[in-house]
Amino acid sequence: MKQSGTSALLQDAVLDMASSVASALRGGGHAPDDITTGGGPSGDLELAAARVLGADLVLPTVLCGIPPTADRLDLIRRTLEAFPPRPEAPPTVRWSHWALRRALRQADPSGSGSDERRPPEPDAAWLDGVPWPFLTHQLAVLASLALPGQDCAPARAARARTLDVARGFVRAVRRRDWLQAAGAGRWLTLLPDVPETLGLAAGLDFVELMGGDDPRVLLQVRAARLTGAGALV
Amino acid sequence: MASAEKILDEVRVHDIDIEAVLDPAEPDGVYRDSRECVALALSSGGGSLLLSPPTPRPKKG
Repeated sequence: MKQSGTSALLQDAVLDMASSVASALRGGGHAPDDITTGGGPSGDLELAAARVLGADLVLPTVLCGIPPTADRLDLIRRTLEAFPPRPEAPPTVRWSHWALRRALRQADPSGSGSDERRPPEPDAAWLDGVPWPFLTHQLAVLASLALPGQDCAPARAARARTLDVARGFVRAVRRRDWLQAAGAGRWLTLLPDVPETLGLAAGLDFVELMGGDDPRVLLQVRAARLTGAGALV
Repeated sequence: MASAEKILDEVRVHDIDIEAVLDPAEPDGVYRDSRECVALALSSGGGSLLLSPPTPRPKKG
């Protein structure tokens, strides 16, 4: 009972944070809201929500050049410490932690709490030769890794399988899995040789139309558009 | 009755199954209805793949 109640609170906190980031991406110049004040989540719930949203917390910095607030950087440092991945944790857990460490290092290279070196990559063999629906699902879960000019093993795996990710995007749309569709669409804006017949731009419009009530979907669609338009990194 | 602030205060890291959230299973598919197909047709313009028939599935046995 306690776990399910916590899950609902966490989901609400994640949606609030995603809404804040999506709003900053829409403006392309808006400073992100300070999510640590003004009625936002607090304490451990805030840390957990930040861990779930992960590296996308600094998307306004990465894609729009908006300087991160000190509170946000501090939040990232604290959530990295609060939720370290277990060695046997699933790959998406280890990679999302890695992505957040990389994001902190890039958003605050001189920060006292950030690593000076690029963190070593977790193992990526779990994506080798997997069926395209699973590949797309995993990539969509790790959509925070889909950033222009930033390489990593899942990005290389995606680049080698553009058509499979395109198939996964279509499948997600047909299944009405808007979050997966938005994440796959974000990856596709980075991939080579995406078929014109996919209609990616129109597909993203449709995903926003149908799933944009969910701030997480909106965040991914806006990130995809900015990436496709050649946002700075 | 506990206040919202009190409830939030009681949420602790060890109460949160963060791995389940970070490694979610794929939800069951829910397929489009005709209203959404119309919206898709209007929004997709020249894109034809999204409206193409479903991929043939291999026959069992």
